[in-house]
Formats: sequence, structure tokens, C-alpha cells
Amino acid sequence: MSKSITHPFEELLAAYSAGSLPLSQALCISAHLEHCESCAQKLARLNRVGSELMQQLKPASASDELKNRLLDSLDSLTADDLPEQRPLSTDSSIPRCLHQFIDRGYDDLPWKRVSSDIQSVELCRDSNGAKVELLKIKPGGSATTHTHLGDEYTVILEGSFSDEAGVYREGDFMVRGTEDQHTPVATQDRECICLAVTEGPVQFTGLFSRMLNPLIRRNYA
Amino acid sequence: MSSMTKRSIPSDKLVALGACMTRVANDRDKSAFAELFDHYAPQIRAYSLAREPGSDLVADELVQEVMTRVWLKASSYNSSLANLNTWIFTLARNCRIDYLRRNSRYATEIDPTDMFNEMADEGPDPFQLAQQSRAEESIREGLKQLPREQSEILTKVYLEGKSHQQASDELKLPLGTVKSRVRLALKKLEVLVVR
Repeated sequence: MSKSITHPFEELLAAYSAGSLPLSQALCISAHLEHCESCAQKLARLNRVGSELMQQLKPASASDELKNRLLDSLDSLTADDLPEQRPLSTDSSIPRCLHQFIDRGYDDLPWKRVSSDIQSVELCRDSNGAKVELLKIKPGGSATTHTHLGDEYTVILEGSFSDEAGVYREGDFMVRGTEDQHTPVATQDRECICLAVTEGPVQFTGLFSRMLNPLIRRNYA
Repeated sequence: MSSMTKRSIPSDKLVALGACMTRVANDRDKSAFAELFDHYAPQIRAYSLAREPGSDLVADELVQEVMTRVWLKASSYNSSLANLNTWIFTLARNCRIDYLRRNSRYATEIDPTDMFNEMADEGPDPFQLAQQSRAEESIREGLKQLPREQSEILTKVYLEGKSHQQASDELKLPLGTVKSRVRLALKKLEVLVVR
């Protein structure tokens, strides 16, 4: 049994800081950061690394034309010229980065049944084809043993679940690779809602549910 | 690493730039803004050109985006929370992400606006702040001493904006090696020690 890891690996956090992570994965990191002070502090330092690297580049001089054009435009600039960032909210378990997909609350989303224990709702696709969805596991419910064709990134938004490797709580982040088989089970007291990003279709490995695989794979065509 | 120099900004330069920020925020002072432009525009252009060599138009557009944000967000910039250089880096990074998304061949509906904090250090408690200038000095010194293969990876990821997979393809290294080099570099820089 491997020890459970509930924070992003350093190199993943660094890629987020560098802005070189696919946006679907960055969504997961962003959701985790709202819950995790220690990763937020690491990120602040990683941003400093980026800043130092940028300062060490040989400066590429800017033209007077660019400078004058910009100075001339200042008086006509208004706040409307900027994308407005929502404030961080403390009274909602919906992370700031997910408000773009969730207007009111989790309950109002068009959940679809996946199994007797699981419902899901697709939020969007990334440009690399990765699927971004929410999963809702009923109290005590089990997400069928499954593996993945690509990596799966998960952040717990509400509730908690456990699998062979340990117990996961609100804000916890995990990556499962193609070689991992796991059986997450939600705790008995409440349902569990997760943000899940899968790079390729999920493979069900149970005897019966294996028959679902061709159907599921078709959704990724 | 040929584009890297040993140049580093003396901190009194940073203090002077910080004073410009205050004048921009409080007095809407255009000459102070011009000073910020003179210092940061060439850095921002270099950052853009590191990813897209030869694309001067893209570089100019990034300067325009970042400096527009500097002008409009000057009053929300808090020097006690974020180092000015780091703030400019995060703005440049965010603008670049935005630009790439708008101009990507493969569309995505994911809007990055709410994913990356505009204030670099939103959050950390004030006790941490005292440690920051020291941390910055150690990161700068550490970068100079990194083995070439490690600084090369950081350059690819941070400046050229390459994913681990792209870095692995370009350097003809296994993906695992790319990841472990990033991890080793960060360990050497002591970035991840939470004090």
C-alpha cells in the first residue's frame, strides 16, 4: 500500500507557477490552493523563481513608438478594459476558479447518473481533450474499481472518501496514473463531491462494468 | 543559457521603482509610469521573445497588456504583500496565458481569469513577510549555482513556457528525468522549505 499524497508534487506546482500547465490541470491546482496554506506559500516562492529568471534574461529594448502609444492611451483606459477577478469567497465550498461553470450551487447542476452510487456532470473540455467534470458519490457509495488511459487529477470539494491508500478530505489533491487501480468509497455521513480531470477515458475493470468500456471510450472520440 | 547574464537588480533600484508605483497609484503620475515602462518593458519583451523568438509584435502586445494592468491596478498593488518584480512576473505570466488561450488553434472554454491570483502573495501571514527578502536573495544566488542541466529545465518551463512533455521531447529526455530535474533544482534553491 502506497502512502497517500494529498498535495501536488513540486514540479506540478512549479509548472502552474510558470503558466505552462494545461488549464484543466491548473483548475485542480487552483482549487487545492484555496484550501492549502502550505502550498500557497510554496507557490509564492515559486513565483519568485519565475521573477528572478525573468530578470536574468537579456533585456530586449522597447521602441519609443510603443512607449508613446501606451502613454497616450492611459487617459482613456478604464477598469472595463480588464478582465475582473472575482474575490475569494469564504462562505462557499465552490472554489473561485469553478464559479465560471457553476452559477448557483452544486444542486442546480444537470447531474447525470453514472452508476447507482455515482452521478457526474461535465463542466468543459480542455484544448488537449482532457475532460473536466464533477463527480458526486452518495454516502458510503463506491466508485467502481477503475484505471485510466491517461492521468486523473482529483480535488475533493465536499465530503471525504477513502481508497486503498488512505483517507481524503476537503481540499485534498491527488493524481492517479494509468497503472493505479483504485476503489474510492465515500464516507457514510455525507455525499462526496470531487473535481476530476481525466486525460483519457476511464477504464472500468470490474467483471460486469468492463462491458461499459467501449461505450465510454466512444465519448472521447 | 547563453541569454542569461549575471546581472541582478540592486535593491535600491527596486525601492525607486516602488516609489514610482506609489506615485502612479496616488497621483496618476505619467512620468513615474514612464520610468516603470523603461525598466520593465524590455524585461517583458525578453520574456515573450523567450517563448516566441522573433515575434516582436507579440512581445509588444504583451508589454501593452501588462503595463495597462499596472496602470489600472496600481492602487490595488500592496508593496507589503508582494515584491514588485514578482508582481510584474505574475502579470506577464497571466497575460501570456490569456494571449495563448485567445490565439490557440485548439479552443477551450476554460477562462483562466479566476485561476491565477493577480496579487502574487495573496494569503501568507505577515510573519512570513520578514523572511521574503532573504528568500529572494537566496533564490538569486542559488540560480547562479545550479548545474546547467537543471537551470536549462527551469528556463524551458518558466521562460519558454514548455510543458514537461514538450521539454522531454525537445531535450530527448525521459519525462521522469525532466520532472526529477525540476524537483532537484527546486530543492537546491530551497524554494519548498516552508519556514
